[in-house]
Amino acid sequence: MCEPNMALVEVQHVSKTYHDHVDVHALNDVTLSLGKGSFAAVTGPSGSGKTTLLNVLGGLDRPDAGRIQIAGVDLTATPADQLADFRLHHIGFVFQAFNLLPVLSVVENLEFIPALQGIKTEKRRQRARELLNVVGLAQISGKRPNDLSGGQQQRVAVLRAIMTEPELVLADEPTANLDSVNAALLLDMMEQLNHDKGVTFVFSTHDPQVMQRAHRLIRLKDGALIADELQGPGANAISI
Amino acid sequence: MLFFSMAWRNVWRNRRRSLLTVSAIALGLAFNIFMRGIGDGFHEQMVDNSVRAEIGHIQVHRSGYHDDPGLNRTLPDPEKVAQAIRSLPGVRGYSFRVLGNGLASTAENSSGVQILGVNPAEEQTVTTIQRAIIQGRYLANGMQRPILLGDRLAAHLNVSLDDKVVLMVQAADGSMGAQLFRVAGIFRSGYPEMDEGVAFTLRSDAQTLFGLGDRVSEVALLMDSSRQIPGVLETLKKDLTGESVEILPWWQVEPFLQQFIQIDDAFFYIIVLIFFVVISIGILNTLMMSIFERVREFGVMMALGTKPRQIIRLVVAEAFALGLVGIVAGTLIGSALTQYFARQGINLSSFSAGAAAVGITSSRVYSELTIANLFYSNLVVLAVVLLVALYPAVHAAGLRPVEAIRHV
Repeated sequence: MCEPNMALVEVQHVSKTYHDHVDVHALNDVTLSLGKGSFAAVTGPSGSGKTTLLNVLGGLDRPDAGRIQIAGVDLTATPADQLADFRLHHIGFVFQAFNLLPVLSVVENLEFIPALQGIKTEKRRQRARELLNVVGLAQISGKRPNDLSGGQQQRVAVLRAIMTEPELVLADEPTANLDSVNAALLLDMMEQLNHDKGVTFVFSTHDPQVMQRAHRLIRLKDGALIADELQGPGANAISI
Repeated sequence: MLFFSMAWRNVWRNRRRSLLTVSAIALGLAFNIFMRGIGDGFHEQMVDNSVRAEIGHIQVHRSGYHDDPGLNRTLPDPEKVAQAIRSLPGVRGYSFRVLGNGLASTAENSSGVQILGVNPAEEQTVTTIQRAIIQGRYLANGMQRPILLGDRLAAHLNVSLDDKVVLMVQAADGSMGAQLFRVAGIFRSGYPEMDEGVAFTLRSDAQTLFGLGDRVSEVALLMDSSRQIPGVLETLKKDLTGESVEILPWWQVEPFLQQFIQIDDAFFYIIVLIFFVVISIGILNTLMMSIFERVREFGVMMALGTKPRQIIRLVVAEAFALGLVGIVAGTLIGSALTQYFARQGINLSSFSAGAAAVGITSSRVYSELTIANLFYSNLVVLAVVLLVALYPAVHAAGLRPVEAIRHV
C-alpha cells in the first residue's frame, strides 16, 4: 500500500528555458516534493510551465538547472538511453488526447507496456481484463480506439498508465477534451485507483472540476511556483 | 508478437498506398525473375546449341593441344581414355575425332576448311550434325571417302551431291597429301562459320589423309545435363592422373561463349539495378510518408518506454511485411510468366541473323525457371526493401518524444 509520508518526487531548483526567437523561461527555480499516494494537480494559465514540469518529471525533457529525483533515481544524471527504460518501469503517462495506439484494440493497448517489459502474453492479458472489469469497461476490450468515445479513450489511457503499477502517473490535461460527465467519470476512476491501489497521480489542468477534486494544488505562473496548497480528504497525508 | 501484429496492421492503415507499393515490388520482382528466366533460357540454348553443334560438354586432348593444336599432338592412349569415359555416370555419348586443316578444291574454286574425321555412329551421340543435313545423307562406314560440307561452303565451291572435292593437307610427317572425296551430304548448322568452313569425313579417311595411323586428336563428351560437368571433370582428372592429357569443359574450349554470357549478365544486372533504384525510391516514399503521418504516435510510444531500437524494429518489420506480400505476388507472377514462355517460347525469327551469330539457331528462345533465379531474385528484393527501410526507421527512432507528442 501507499506510504504517503515518504517523498517519491523531489524537485530542487529546477529551471528550463526554451530558446526560440526570444528566450522563454518555462520553469524558473521550481522546488517541490511529492509523497507516494499523492493526488496532485499542477495548475496555472497557459504558458505557465505545467506541461514542461510534467515533461521533466517524466524524463521526457531535461531541465537546464536543478535536480529531479523520482523514487530515488536522479533523472538529471540518468543517460538519455536509460531514460526510456526508466519511464517504462517507473512512470505512467496519460496525454491530453489521441494517445492510444490506433491499430491496437483496447486490451492490446493495455498490454503494450507490459509487452515492452517482456511480460508473457497470458499474464498481461489477464491483468488487462481484470482492470477493465474493475472499471466496468470489459465490454469494449476488443474495440479499436476509433470506435470509442473520448471519455472511454481517456479511461483506457489511464488504465494503460497503471497496468504495470508504476510509482508515478503523469497526466497532461487529461480532461481537456472531455465533457463534464466524462471528465467526472475519469476523475472518479483516478480517485478510485489512488484510494484503492495507492497510485500516485500528478496532472496538469485548467479544469476547475479537477482542481476541486485534487488533494494538492500546485500553482505555477511564468514558470515559477507561486502556491502549493493542500485541500480535501488527503490534505494531512501529503508532505510538502 | 504484439509488435509484429502492430507492424502488419500499420502496413494496411493506408490500404491503397500499400497496395501500390506492394504492386511496385511485385512487378519489379516479376520483371527480374522473368528477365533472368529469359537470360537463363537464352544462355542455356546458346550453350546447348554450341555444345551439340560441335564442341560437346567436355573435350579431352593431349596436354597443350588447346593452346597450340598440331597434328602430332594426338591423344596418348585413346583406349585408356575410352575406358575412363565408359565408367562415368551420366555420359550420353562420346566421339573420338581427328582434326586438321586443309584446302578444299574443286575445278572452280577452293577454300580453307577445318576437317573433322569422325566415326558416324559415335558422332551422332554427341552432335546434331546428322539432323542438320539438308541435302543427301549422313556419313556411314563403308562409303567411299564421303564428305559433308556446309551449305555456304558448298555454294562457294559450287558443288552439289556426288560432286568431287579434293582435300589438300599437310600430313603429320610434314609431307603434302591430297585425296579425292565425294560430296555425300550438305548441312546447315545455322552457325555461319561452321557452314562455310567445316567439312566432316570418316575418321579412317582423315587418319589416312593426315598420315596419323590410328591416332586421334580429341574426344568430345556429351552429358545428360550440363550440371554434371563439374563432377565429371573431377572424376576424369582423377581417373586419368599421370596421363599427358588436358580435360576441358566447354567454357574453356569456347571462351568467347562464356565471355558473351558474362557480358550479357552484366548488362542484365545494370538494368535490374536501375529498375530497383526506381522501386526503392517508391518504397522509401511510402515509408517516409507513413512515418511523417505517425510522428505523434511514435512520440507516445517512446514516452511510454519504447526504445529507439524497438522503433527501428517496428519500421523495418513494416517494410518486411510490405516486402513479403510483394515477394509472394512477384514470385507467383514472375514464375507464371517464365513458365508460360518456357513452354511457348519467344519468337526471334525477325532477328534470326543476329541470333545465329551468338549461337541461337532456333527461331524461338525458351525461358527457364530455376531455383537459383527464384532464390537470388527474392533475396535481392528483400535486401533492397530492408535496406531502404533503414533510413525512415532511423529517422523515426531519432525523434524526440517531447517534440513528437506535440506534433500535429
